[in-house]
Amino acid sequence: MSKEKLHSSSTETGKADSAINKWLDDRFQLAALREFAKHKSVPKFRETIWYYFGGIALLLFLVQVCTGILLVMYYKGTEDSAFESVRFIDAKVNFGWLIRSIHSWSANLMILAIFIHMFSIYFLKSFRKPRELTWYTGIGLLFVTMAFGFSGYLLPWNELAYFATKVGTDITGQVPVVGKFMLTLMRGGADVTGATLSRFFGIHVALFPGIFAIFLMLHLLFIQRQGMSEPEEWAKLDPKEKKTIPFFPNFMLRELLIWLIVINILAVLAVYFPWELGKKADAFASAPQGIKPEWYFLFMFQILKYIPGKVWLFDGEVLGVLFFGVGIGLWVLVPFWDSKIKSGHRNKILTYIGIGIVVFMITFTTIAWIAG
Amino acid sequence: MNDETKKGKTRREFLNDVLIGGFGAWMMAILYPVISYLDPPKSKEVKVSQVNIGKSSEIEKNSGKIIRFGEKPVLVIKKNNGEYSAFMAECTHLNCTVQYRKDLGLIYCACHNGKYDLNGKVVSGPPPAPLQKYEVALKGDEVIVYKGEG
Amino acid sequence: MKNRLILIITLLFSIIGTCKLQAAPGNDECYNCHENLDGKVQAPAAAFKTDVHHLAGISCSGCHGGDSKNGDMESAMDKKKGFLGIPQVKTRYMVCVKCHSDKKTMQSFGFKGGTEQFEKLKESVHFKPSYNNQGPIADCITCHGAHGIAKVKDPKSKVSPLNVVALCGGCHSNATFMKQYNPGIPVDQVIKYRTSVHGEKNAKGDANTAQCVSCHSNHGIYSVKDPRSTVYNKNIAKTCSGCHSNSVLMAKYNIPSDQYEKYKTSVHGKALLEKGDAGAPSCNGCHGNHGATPPGVETISKVCGTCHAFNMELFEKSVHKNAFASRSLPECETCHGNHGIQPVTDEFLGTGEKSACIKCHHSGDKGFIVAAEMKQLMDTLGMQRKSANEYLDKAEQLGMDVSDEKYSFQKLKQILIKTKTSVHSSELDKFKNELNPGIEIVNDAEISGRKAIENYYFRRKGLAVASILVTFLVVLLYIKLKRIERKDNAK
Repeated sequence: MSKEKLHSSSTETGKADSAINKWLDDRFQLAALREFAKHKSVPKFRETIWYYFGGIALLLFLVQVCTGILLVMYYKGTEDSAFESVRFIDAKVNFGWLIRSIHSWSANLMILAIFIHMFSIYFLKSFRKPRELTWYTGIGLLFVTMAFGFSGYLLPWNELAYFATKVGTDITGQVPVVGKFMLTLMRGGADVTGATLSRFFGIHVALFPGIFAIFLMLHLLFIQRQGMSEPEEWAKLDPKEKKTIPFFPNFMLRELLIWLIVINILAVLAVYFPWELGKKADAFASAPQGIKPEWYFLFMFQILKYIPGKVWLFDGEVLGVLFFGVGIGLWVLVPFWDSKIKSGHRNKILTYIGIGIVVFMITFTTIAWIAG
Repeated sequence: MNDETKKGKTRREFLNDVLIGGFGAWMMAILYPVISYLDPPKSKEVKVSQVNIGKSSEIEKNSGKIIRFGEKPVLVIKKNNGEYSAFMAECTHLNCTVQYRKDLGLIYCACHNGKYDLNGKVVSGPPPAPLQKYEVALKGDEVIVYKGEG
Repeated sequence: MKNRLILIITLLFSIIGTCKLQAAPGNDECYNCHENLDGKVQAPAAAFKTDVHHLAGISCSGCHGGDSKNGDMESAMDKKKGFLGIPQVKTRYMVCVKCHSDKKTMQSFGFKGGTEQFEKLKESVHFKPSYNNQGPIADCITCHGAHGIAKVKDPKSKVSPLNVVALCGGCHSNATFMKQYNPGIPVDQVIKYRTSVHGEKNAKGDANTAQCVSCHSNHGIYSVKDPRSTVYNKNIAKTCSGCHSNSVLMAKYNIPSDQYEKYKTSVHGKALLEKGDAGAPSCNGCHGNHGATPPGVETISKVCGTCHAFNMELFEKSVHKNAFASRSLPECETCHGNHGIQPVTDEFLGTGEKSACIKCHHSGDKGFIVAAEMKQLMDTLGMQRKSANEYLDKAEQLGMDVSDEKYSFQKLKQILIKTKTSVHSSELDKFKNELNPGIEIVNDAEISGRKAIENYYFRRKGLAVASILVTFLVVLLYIKLKRIERKDNAK
C-alpha cells in the first residue's frame, strides 16, 4: 500500500514531491531501487492467477499483526480471566467483536491462502533449482502459521479449544523418544492448565511473530533476488511471445484490487458469521460432543481415528504420527528427490502425486466435517 | 500539447484525485473502528451511598485510614478527641493519594509536599483547593462514612 | 457380637427347653411356697398374684426354670433341672423373648397381638449396650416390670397411657443418668409435656391424648436424626396426623382434623416433604413438640419470626402491630393463614379480589391507597422486566452477547424478596427503597438490549457502506489499470 502511494505520487511529480525525492535519493540512492522495480515483471499466461496468492497470504499476515496487536490490548492470558477478557472484547469494547472475528477469520483464510500458494508452486514446479530455498522458507512459513493457529485456538480458553488442545498435544506425546518431553514442554506440565495457556500466549504473540518475520524476510528476499519463477511451458516459448506484466504498477495494482476485495470479504464474514466464543473451559467437565481441531488439522485428525489401536506390534497412534511425519518430510523435501527422477516423466508423476494428496486431504477433511 | 492530450491529462488527474479521495475515505472506514476500539469502554460506576468501616472501638485515636468508597479512596481520620472526619483522599493538586501524618496532625500529600488541616483546608504547598469532605456517623459502635448533601 | 448372641440364645433354649409351661395356678408349687414366705422372697410372689402371666397359668418356672410341680424345695430349685435363679441382667430379655417372639406360643395363650416387639427393640436406641456394659440400656423388664405385669390398657400397667410418662421420665428426666449417654440431651421433656395440651389432659386422666409412646412409638424408638424415627423431621407431620386427622377422635375435643391435608399442600409442607428442605417447619416447628400448644394470638409473629426474622421486625414496628392487637387478629395468620399457607403472589398485595389488604381496608382509606400504589409499582417492575427480557431475548437471538445483562437479572430475585419483605412495614417509602434498584436494573437491561439490537443493525449498515466504498474503489482501480495497460500497449 505504501509502495503504491509512493508510486502514484512519483507520477504526480509535484514540486514538493520531487524535492522529497531528491532528498531521499541523495541519501538512499533510490534510483537503483526504482530501476530494479521497473524491470521486475510477472510472466503472463493462463496460470498467472496463482501468482496472487502469496500476496494474499502476506496481506492476511499483516491483518493478523494489526488485529493481533489490538487484541493484546484487552486480552488477559491467565486461566481465570482469559475467557472473560475475550468476552469483554466481544461484548463491551467498541468494535471488539469486529477485531476478534477478523483475527479469527483472517487466520483461517491465511492458512487457506498459503495452502493454495504452496500447491500452485508445487504444480507449476516453481520449487526447482534455483528456488529450493524459497520453497523451504515457504514451508517454514506454513508450519509457523499452523503453529500460530494451534496456539491461538487455545487463547479464548473455551471448552472446544481446551479439549482440542488436549488432544492435539496428546498426539505430540505419541512421537517416539522425544514425545513425552515435547508434551510436557508444550503443556508446561503434565496437563493442559493455566500454565499451558501462558506458554501458548507467550509463543503466539512473541516467539512465532519473530520466527515468522525471519522466514518471511528470507522468502521475500529470495524472490526479489531471483525474480518471478518462469514455468517450463512459458519458458519454452519464443522470446517474442513471452508476455509479461510489469510488477510496478500493473501487477501491484491488480494485487491491491484483490486485497481490497479480500479485506471486504473478511468484514462480511465477521459481520455475518461472528466467531463464536462458546463456554468457558472447565478442566473437570467431561469432553463436549464434537470436539475437533481447526479445519486444517481435520484430515490428520480423521485418519488417526481410522487407525486401529494396535497394528501388529505397534501402537496405532504412534504409527499414524510416524506416517504423517514421513509423509510431510517427503513433501518438504520434494525439491531434493524431484531432481532424482528421470526427466520426461517427471512432470506427470509429480502432478499425479500432487493431485492425489489434494484429493486425499479434501476427502478426509470433508468426512471429518460431515461426521461433525 | 494539443487539446486531446490535455483532456486526457485532466481526466487522468481527476481519476487520480478520486482514487486518492476514495482511499482516504476507505482508510477512515478502517481507522474509525480501530480508534474507537482503543477507547476503553466505561465500566459502570458502582453507586455507593455509604460505607461501613468497622467498629469505632477498634480504631486508634490520632490515626488515619484510607478506605474504598465506590471507585474513590476516602481518608477517614480519628482525631485525638475521638471525633471523626473524612475527606476524598485525592489531592486537589495532581490526584495523588493523601495520608494522615500523626506527627504533624495534618493531612499530607507526599507527591509535592501539600498539606491540609483537619478541616480539609490547604495549609501549605501546591494544592489549589480544599479536599472534598465526607460525613461520618456512628451507628452504635459502627463507623459509617457517607457523602454529605451537595 | 451377633454370633455370640446366637450362641447365648441356643444355650438358653437348650437349658430351658421349649415353652411347655402351662399349668393351673393352684398347681404352681413355687408360687404356693413363696407366697407363704416373708419379706424379700415373698414379694415376687405377692406381685405375681395379679400378673397377667400368672392369670394365664404360667408358673414361676416359666421364667426362672426349675420344676414347679415338685413340692420339694431342693429338687424344685435344682440347677440340673434348669433352675436359673434371678436371670442375668445381660440376658434376662431372653426369658421374655422365648415366648413373645414365638407366634405359636402366643396364640396358644389366646394372644392376638404382634410378636415383633423384640425385633423392633433390637434396632432401637434402648437396646444399645449400657455404659457399664451390664446389658442393654433398657430391656423388656426396664419398662414392663417383672412380677406385676399388667395389660397395657390396664391402669395398673407401668406402660399404660397415664403411667408411661412417669415411666419414661424415670430415666429421661434424670440429668445424672442421661448425661452418661449424651451430655447434650435435654431432660425437660416431662416438664414441658405437662405444660402442653396433651400433658394437661393426660394429667387429668384422659388416656386418649398423646403421651411419649404416641409420638415416639414403643419398642422401635430411634434417634430423631434417624429417618426411621417417627419423629424424624419428614415423618413428624404424619405421626401427628395419626391422631389429628382422625375426625371422630378430634370431634371430642372440638378441633378440626384437616391440618395435615392442608399442610401437605402448603409452602412449608412442600418444601419439607417434596423438596427435602430440612429447614422448613413441620408441625413442631410452630407448635413445639413436648410442650405442644397452639401459638397464642399475640405471639404468632414471634413464632413465624424465628425463621422470617425481617418480616417480623418490620411488622412489629408497623402500624399493623397495634391495629391487629386491638382487634385480636392473629398477626401473620390474618393474611397468610396457618396450616395451608401458600406461596405469596403479587395478587396478595393491592386491592384486587385476592388481595389480603381489602379484608380490612376499604376504598378511600389510607391503607387502601398505599396498597394500591405498592401493587402498581410491583406491576410496573414486572412489566418492565418482561419488556426488557424481550429485548434481551431478541438481541440474543440476533447473536449479540447480553449475558452480563441477563446475569444482572439474578440480582432481581433478591431485590424482589426484599421488596416483598418491606411490604410488612406498611410504609410506601421503605417499599420504594427496596424496589427502585430493581427498576434500575431492569431499565439498564432494557437499554442494553435495545443498544445491542441497534448495534446489530449498525454492523450491517456499516458493512454496507464499506462495501459500497470498496466496490467504488475497485471499479476506479480497474479503470486506472486499463488505462495504464492501454498506455503500455501504445508504447
